Amino acid sequence: MIEIILLVSSVLFIFALKLFGRPSTAHRANTFAMLAMALAVFSAFNFDFSNYDSAFYITIIVSGLLGVLISKRVQMTQMPELVGLFNGFGGGASGAIAYVELSKSTLPLSDYFVAIFSMVIGMFTFSGSIIAVLKLRGKLNNVNTTIANIFSAFLPPLILLPAIWESEILSLEYFMLLSLIAGIIRVAVIGGADMPVVIAFLNSLSGIAAMSAGFIVNSIILIIAGALVGASGIILTLLMCAAMNRTLLDVLKGGFGSKSINNEYDKDPISTSPEDVAIQLSYAESVIIVPGYGMAVAQAQSAVKELTNTLKDKNIEVKFAIHPVAGRMPGHMNVLLAEVDIDYEDMYTLEDINSEFSSTDVVIVLGANDVVNPLARTDEDSPIYGMPILDVDLAKQVIVIKRSMSPGYAGIANPLFINDNAKMLFADAKEGLEKIIKSFELV
Amino acid sequence: MEATFLLTLLITFLASFIGYELISKIPQTLHTPLMSGSNAISGVTLIAAILIYPEVGESQVLKIIVLTAIAFATLNIVGGFSVTGRILEMFKKND
Repeated sequence: MIEIILLVSSVLFIFALKLFGRPSTAHRANTFAMLAMALAVFSAFNFDFSNYDSAFYITIIVSGLLGVLISKRVQMTQMPELVGLFNGFGGGASGAIAYVELSKSTLPLSDYFVAIFSMVIGMFTFSGSIIAVLKLRGKLNNVNTTIANIFSAFLPPLILLPAIWESEILSLEYFMLLSLIAGIIRVAVIGGADMPVVIAFLNSLSGIAAMSAGFIVNSIILIIAGALVGASGIILTLLMCAAMNRTLLDVLKGGFGSKSINNEYDKDPISTSPEDVAIQLSYAESVIIVPGYGMAVAQAQSAVKELTNTLKDKNIEVKFAIHPVAGRMPGHMNVLLAEVDIDYEDMYTLEDINSEFSSTDVVIVLGANDVVNPLARTDEDSPIYGMPILDVDLAKQVIVIKRSMSPGYAGIANPLFINDNAKMLFADAKEGLEKIIKSFELV
Repeated sequence: MEATFLLTLLITFLASFIGYELISKIPQTLHTPLMSGSNAISGVTLIAAILIYPEVGESQVLKIIVLTAIAFATLNIVGGFSVTGRILEMFKKND
C-alpha cells in the first residue's frame, strides 16, 4: 500500500514539473506538487501515528502556521531573501538529520560517507544562505577575498587534523563547524549582483543535501524529490553563469567588480527632463522598457504599469526586455511586473528581443546598467567582455533613468550613457516615471 | 544488498535526468516561482525526520535537533508552496 502511495507521489512530482513549463498551467503544477508532497509525508508515518509525541505535532503545527504567515506577508521585492532563507532551512534540516544519524554510530560504512556528505553540504548551505540573506538585506558588506583564500589554502590540513587526533566523536562536530565556517566565508566574499548565481547554487545544494539524506534513511521518494531540486538549481546556476559569460568557479571566487578600473567619461552626457521624455514618447510608435535592480529598489513597478497603460492608450507598442541576471534572483523582474498585472506575453528574453532594438523608437532603461553596457561587445579588456547584453545602444533613441553617472556592479563606465542617441533623466526610478506620467497630461 | 544500492543509484540518475529535461523547458518568466517551488520540495526531507524521530532514543539534544529539522522542513513545505501559489496566481490572471 505504501509503495503505491509513493509511486503515485513520484509520478505527481514529475507531472507537476511538466505542467510548470507554461505560465498558463503553472498554477496547477503547484497543486499537483502539493498533493505529491502530502502523499509522500503521509507515507512516512506508515499508518502508525502513535510513535509521535505532542512535541512532534506542536512543532509541525507551529512551523506550518509560521510558514503560511510568512508567505502571505512577504513582498515580491523580498522574494530573493525568502528563497535564500528557505534554501538555508532546507539545507539545515537535511544537515541536522545527517548529524543525528551519524551520532547513532550504527551506520554501515557506505551510509556513513553519504551522511558525512549530507551533513557537510547541508551545513554549508545553511550558513551560506544566512549570509546571502544578510547581504540581500544590505546588512553585510563584501568581505575581502584574502580571508577566503587563506581559509581555502588551510582547508586540506584542517580536514586531515582529526585523523591525527584519532578522536571520532570530536571530529563529527568539528566537521560540522568547518562546513558552517566554509559556508559563511564563501558567500561573504561574493558581491550583490552575483546573488542570482549564489541563490540558485544554494538552492541546488539544498536539493543535493535532501537527496543524500534520502540515501541514509532509504527513502526513494526523498531521493527523487531531492534530485529534482538539485537539477533545477544546477540548471538555473548554469543559466545565470552563461548570462554573465563567467564560470561558476569564477563567481564563487568572489571579489568581482571590487577593483575600480576605467570609470571616467570623456564627454558629458545629454541630460533631459520629464517633460521632454513625455514629448519624445508621445511621438514614438514602439517602446521597450529595460528594468533592472534599480526598479526593485525604488519600488517603481506600479509607476511602470501606469506608464505602460498611458502609452498603450496612445496606441504605442510597449515591450519589456529582461536580462537573465537583472535583479537579485532568476526571474525576479518578471515576478515584480506580473504583480502589477503586466502581461507575461509582453516580457521578452534577451534572445527574443535583441534583434528588435534597432527598429525600436524609444528604449527606457530603468535601473539597469551592466546588462546594457556595449563594452561587453567591444572592449576585450573589460571585466564584462563577452557577456550577452541587451543591445539597447542600437535603438533610435534611448532614455536612461538613473540617479547619477555612478558605475554598476562591474565598476566600469557605461558608454551607452554618452552615446549620441541617449539622454539621461537623473532621477530615482519611481519619481522619474511619475513625473513623466504627470507631464503626459500636459502634452 | 548490492542490487538495491545499484537500483537506488539508477533511480537517482533517472530522476535527475527527467528533472533536467523538464526544468530546462521552463521559461525565464517562471524562474522565481520555480525556485520557491523547489524550496517547498526540498522540505521533503521532513520524511527523513519523521522516519528517524521515533528512533532517536533518550538523548534530549538529538531530539531537539530532529525537532529543529522538522520545523525547518515544515516551514519550507508550507511557506514554499503557499508563496509559489501566490506568485503563480499572478501569471494565471493573464489568460
